[in-house]
Amino acid sequence: MNHTITIKKGLDIPLGGDAERFVVDMRSEERFAVKPPDVVGFTPRLLVGEGDEVFAGQPLVEDKRDPRLTLPSPVSGKVSAIVRGEKRKLMEVVVEADSAVKSAKTENPGLTPEAPVWWMIKERPFGAIADPDHKPKGIFVSMRDTNPLAPDIAFVLKGREHEFEAGIAALGQWAEVHTVHAQGPHPAGNVGTQIAAISPLNKGEYVWTVNAQDVANIGRWCLTGEYRPERVIAVGGPAAKCSKYYRVLCGTSIRRIAEVQLMSPNYPEIAPHSTSHATRIISGSVLSGSAIEADGFLGMYDHQLTFIEEGDQYEFMGWIMPGLNKFSFSKTFLSGLMAPFKALESLMPVKPTYSFNTNLHGSVRPFLFTGSFERVFPFDIYPLQLIKACIVGDVELQEQLGIYEVEPEDFALCEFIDPSKTEIQTIIREALEVLRKEAI
Amino acid sequence: MNFKWLSDWFEKIEPKGKWSWLGSTYEAFHTFAFTPKAVTRKGSHIRDAVDMKRSIIMVVIALVPALLFGMWNIGYQTAMSTGADWHWLYMWWFGFLRMLPLIVVSYVVGLFIEFAFAQYRGHEVNEGYLATGLLIPMIVPVTTPLWQVALAVAFAVIIGKEVFGGSGMNFLNPALVARAFLFFAYPTHMSGDKVWIAADLWGSDAIAGATPMGELAAGAHPSASALDMLIGTIPGSTCETSVIAIALGAMLLLFTGIASWRIILSVFLGGGLMGLLFNAIGYNDYMQLPFYYHFLMGGFAFGAVFMATDPVTAAQTNAGKWIYGLLIGAFAVLLRVCNPAYPEGMMLSILFMNCMAPLIDHCVVARNIKARASRATRKEVNNG
Repeated sequence: MNHTITIKKGLDIPLGGDAERFVVDMRSEERFAVKPPDVVGFTPRLLVGEGDEVFAGQPLVEDKRDPRLTLPSPVSGKVSAIVRGEKRKLMEVVVEADSAVKSAKTENPGLTPEAPVWWMIKERPFGAIADPDHKPKGIFVSMRDTNPLAPDIAFVLKGREHEFEAGIAALGQWAEVHTVHAQGPHPAGNVGTQIAAISPLNKGEYVWTVNAQDVANIGRWCLTGEYRPERVIAVGGPAAKCSKYYRVLCGTSIRRIAEVQLMSPNYPEIAPHSTSHATRIISGSVLSGSAIEADGFLGMYDHQLTFIEEGDQYEFMGWIMPGLNKFSFSKTFLSGLMAPFKALESLMPVKPTYSFNTNLHGSVRPFLFTGSFERVFPFDIYPLQLIKACIVGDVELQEQLGIYEVEPEDFALCEFIDPSKTEIQTIIREALEVLRKEAI
Repeated sequence: MNFKWLSDWFEKIEPKGKWSWLGSTYEAFHTFAFTPKAVTRKGSHIRDAVDMKRSIIMVVIALVPALLFGMWNIGYQTAMSTGADWHWLYMWWFGFLRMLPLIVVSYVVGLFIEFAFAQYRGHEVNEGYLATGLLIPMIVPVTTPLWQVALAVAFAVIIGKEVFGGSGMNFLNPALVARAFLFFAYPTHMSGDKVWIAADLWGSDAIAGATPMGELAAGAHPSASALDMLIGTIPGSTCETSVIAIALGAMLLLFTGIASWRIILSVFLGGGLMGLLFNAIGYNDYMQLPFYYHFLMGGFAFGAVFMATDPVTAAQTNAGKWIYGLLIGAFAVLLRVCNPAYPEGMMLSILFMNCMAPLIDHCVVARNIKARASRATRKEVNNG
């Protein structure tokens, strides 16, 4: 089913460095990784060891609770590293690709829980990997991403319409598929916003969500029986030197892309295996992605890379400086005074540009001001009250206030505009994790 | 302009070892000079440029027109009463010298307590008092003795705020707590005819001169015209007489989004509706007073713009803000007209609604909870 919705509440952040509409083929990258921590609700059990030969689509890890669910290798090659974090948590399984992609062809492929593409389906509440035993009331696919510098979905799906249709048909066997074209400012493109507008989630209900490009990947699997998960990612940001689209395979190392972006006058000095500390590389959007190293890997569900300057500098008396290049949702800077004259911008010889970096722009404080979250939060939910319920850990109140309808990314703009500098998305994620573990 | 020498100096003097208990004080001065270099870790990697300091400073800037006018009016009232022929600049200077000790006492006492509590708790010093500390001297009679101001500030900061956990945790507006403390502890210094006009540059001697509200409470029609009250050339608390100056501040607060337009508008609406209701009853002279006089007299406008809008103690939901504001305006006018014991009702009305705000929010949020619950049951019925 096709929907068109219009959202009014929200905010588009004028972050510079949009990707030029030109696709660079980067599928020949040598290292790939699956990252189990990106898949919420997935408890990994390792199926391979270092040095093992694997083929594309071969499961590298399986879910301890439901072994039908697996995370497969995106390429054929050799497992070169198994990266563990604190408490031996499995962080990454790295595969060194062969020169030729070998893949086992499956007869009569279908979208079953055992299929290598199953992990691409996420489930709300909790944003976890879809549980095949649940009966979702719908599957939502957002046809527009409104995050800062996000890829244009129509552009990245070009040439894959056939696969996309096949993916929709395969998903349709599980539940009705809603493809949503959203208009309006961010977070209109967030699938959570769209679910809230079309069919809000009640306790005990489930919806599944799939990224548009992963629908095409599911379609490719169903059509060919080959696992070759491809994405065209938007690479951009104020600190990117070559903002373009890149065609990659899921889980790709970003080393070669990063090398191009970080190219500077002292270019060769940026060794491939060091991080440029002046620049932060974000897999995903600048509002809710995760920071990765220059030789790290693209996140499991991400379709953009953002390069942004680190902001670890003092600013002299920031509380009173006029701030012509400061971006604020409040109009407490001179830039806000200029906002009503946006229409005249085309006449200006020098266009005002905002400078963005990772500085927190202030100290952490209790919540004082009220009323602004509501202006960027298009849900029938009281955001501040829900955040406070999460902080105090009142599970019953969280349920009453609608915790099941949200994901951390739905609060990204609240976190962005918050003058108290609270890590709201972390608070929501932790509250959801408590509820998810109780629900098991 | 990055003042590297200064930031280097700050890093050099960072208290360590046996001085580390001074951390909160150091942090307060350091972040006053420099926005910290702290960066985001996850979630939203970029952040809005605004922070608490800047938001609070906007309130302080919004108070400046009323402050400057109030200073001039202090001199003007004295000159009018003594018949002195003063230049307008001297009137301002006179008022400035009268206001300065009040402001200094308020900030020194209030910030000392704030710093002490922050140190004791190991918290950062919250900037909320920068606005409160200026608000308090702006709403007291000019002749208020300094020791009374000091006591009121200490009471407001400790009992009104810190015992609840500091800024953001209090349920009463601290500036009004200070004003209420003075009003009930030292009533002879806070009302009547002999407190509003300073007799001379020093001390707490006053010249007789009634405020419009005092005249009304005594059963007389206000001697000042509506225009005088609009401009603010009338006796009253130090800086709350000029509706025009307050309106300038209100414009800044509304433009920057620091104050809620819902609250300001609804306070005026509530007061206006109540005034019109009394006009319709018309039982006595006070009830027959044109409704808009209530906006011009006393602390109504100042309270609506700077006190009722305190986001911590106001209702926090948008629907709640309408109810909260309407009731503040209505109760303020009701108290003025119907309660002869208190000529001015704004302060008590706001404090009362501060107490009611959580209840209002509770009801508003409960509606949302109920709607969500009934949506879920409807669904179940349909499916079943």
